[in-house]
Amino acid sequence: MNGIQEIPLAFGPDRSLLGVLSTPARGESTPIACLMLNAGATHRVGPGRIHVKLARQLAERGVSSLRMDLSGFGDSGVAQGAEHARVQAVRDLQAAMDQVESMLGIRRFVVIGLRSGAANALALAVADSRVVALSMFDGFAFPSRRSLWERRARQVLAAVGNPGLVGKTARWLSPKAGTPSAQSAQSAHSDDCVSSDADRALFRRSMLQLSEREIAVMLTYSGSAHVVDHDRDQLGALAHEPFMRNIDYRFLPDVGGNLTSIASQQSFMAAVTDWVLRVASQRAPAASEPLPRRLVPVERVMLRTA
Amino acid sequence: MTPLLFGPPSRQLFGMLHPARGGDQAGRAVLMCPPFGQEAIRSHRLFSVLADQLARSGISVLRLDYHGTGDSPGDDADGEFDGWRRDVCTAHEELRRRTGAARIVWFGARLGASLAVLAARSGRCDPARLVLWDPIVSGRDYLQSLRKRHVEAMERSFCIPDPAWRKQLATNPHAFTDELLGFAVSPTLLLQLRNLDADALALTALHDTIVLADDDDAKVRHWRDLQTARAMALKHSSFRHSLQWTSEPQPDATLVPADALQRLTTCLT
Repeated sequence: MNGIQEIPLAFGPDRSLLGVLSTPARGESTPIACLMLNAGATHRVGPGRIHVKLARQLAERGVSSLRMDLSGFGDSGVAQGAEHARVQAVRDLQAAMDQVESMLGIRRFVVIGLRSGAANALALAVADSRVVALSMFDGFAFPSRRSLWERRARQVLAAVGNPGLVGKTARWLSPKAGTPSAQSAQSAHSDDCVSSDADRALFRRSMLQLSEREIAVMLTYSGSAHVVDHDRDQLGALAHEPFMRNIDYRFLPDVGGNLTSIASQQSFMAAVTDWVLRVASQRAPAASEPLPRRLVPVERVMLRTA
Repeated sequence: MTPLLFGPPSRQLFGMLHPARGGDQAGRAVLMCPPFGQEAIRSHRLFSVLADQLARSGISVLRLDYHGTGDSPGDDADGEFDGWRRDVCTAHEELRRRTGAARIVWFGARLGASLAVLAARSGRCDPARLVLWDPIVSGRDYLQSLRKRHVEAMERSFCIPDPAWRKQLATNPHAFTDELLGFAVSPTLLLQLRNLDADALALTALHDTIVLADDDDAKVRHWRDLQTARAMALKHSSFRHSLQWTSEPQPDATLVPADALQRLTTCLT
């Protein structure tokens, strides 16, 4: 790993959180760092090790990142308190930002959430002003009925001679499929790719707030959501709200939702890296703000984790 | 637990050390050899919780990520058996250096179990016992199973999957061999997997071995019979569990199956 330094860390109030910090080994680091958190119950390396690959690609381009396990996932301990999981996730991510700030002096963050991790990423962006950018992959989705029907019609047409569609078709032909209760129980990356009404209200409020704070947002949707996208279809009626105007919306039909293929991983990483670099160049701190510190020596860090 | 990087500067490895807390098992330690690819992702939390339980009962544990896997340096495509065998021995020495344990048990699952057997044969390190969970004793069968799961995962990944994938899987033995369930596979590793069979996994006389596997697994039974015929100290323990090795980890009770955790804890303490 030429040009990259990686440091495993135990951090947080009782050092029960686990993460790995990736930084450029030499040269200038951007004044913005990325946070990567669990996608579902997959530990910090991410599906197909995507967080490791992305972290190293970013570090090669001067961007530091911390990939971490939230409480109760991967190698992190179970939280001692009785907080709601989302509240605990935000606290854990804030501890991660504190850690990065203490080591690198960086106080601006991009948070990257995949699939169900998108909800935790959004919650952090709303709760903490250190977050200046948010990337969500196959997170919240609110396609219109028309978009859903188009999707199903295409699936029906494609089903003949396509055994891979048999299971999917059987699921949405079942009597319960398509009812509001069925939809609200589904996550945005399940077969129907639809978030619940409660999620829609939360998402709307949150995006409005992020817009007021001028947070950069990238919403990326994969080929598990649809095969075409006419006009920000995954956002449904929210697509044309004024506060959604500056959202960077990407539909990547050749990228699989679970990032199983290496080609999918490369497309996803290219999109995110590009965007992060753009954000980093646009959100440079004011001249009066101190520059990021160089990394503290590894020996000192290792002492801290021992 | 302590996250650490260890090994020579040219080939650093990521590991998680779970130092013994309490208990009265000084001098004993366990080295955990994880499975490969998606199977390592699926079983990661189980291994973490298991290691913690063992540490609480007084047994130090080191879990490693082989080069090019997990958080260790290296790319997916750098992975191959010879380097991974050396990684196991490097981790063994690190565990001994940090804990002073005289007796180190290796616990390997799936391909990690096979690597443990290969590493124990190298003569570079001296495990007291191998505990092998669902070992891969036929690389060809394993490869075929991963190719099938890969295509199924691809199909789940797209709202309209490409029907050509299944046809390629059925007709082209080379299709879906350079990447499996999100992890690149080098030509070297592919060849090593194809050559992995019962004959390649001969046990040595220097340690005893416990095999945890389903009685219905004919390939493991055959391998076990071969080793027993060679008078190796091998004990089979029937183990049927609910963990699906290549599934995606879900944040529910299936993440750490209670049946597997209890049985493995008992076996390793």
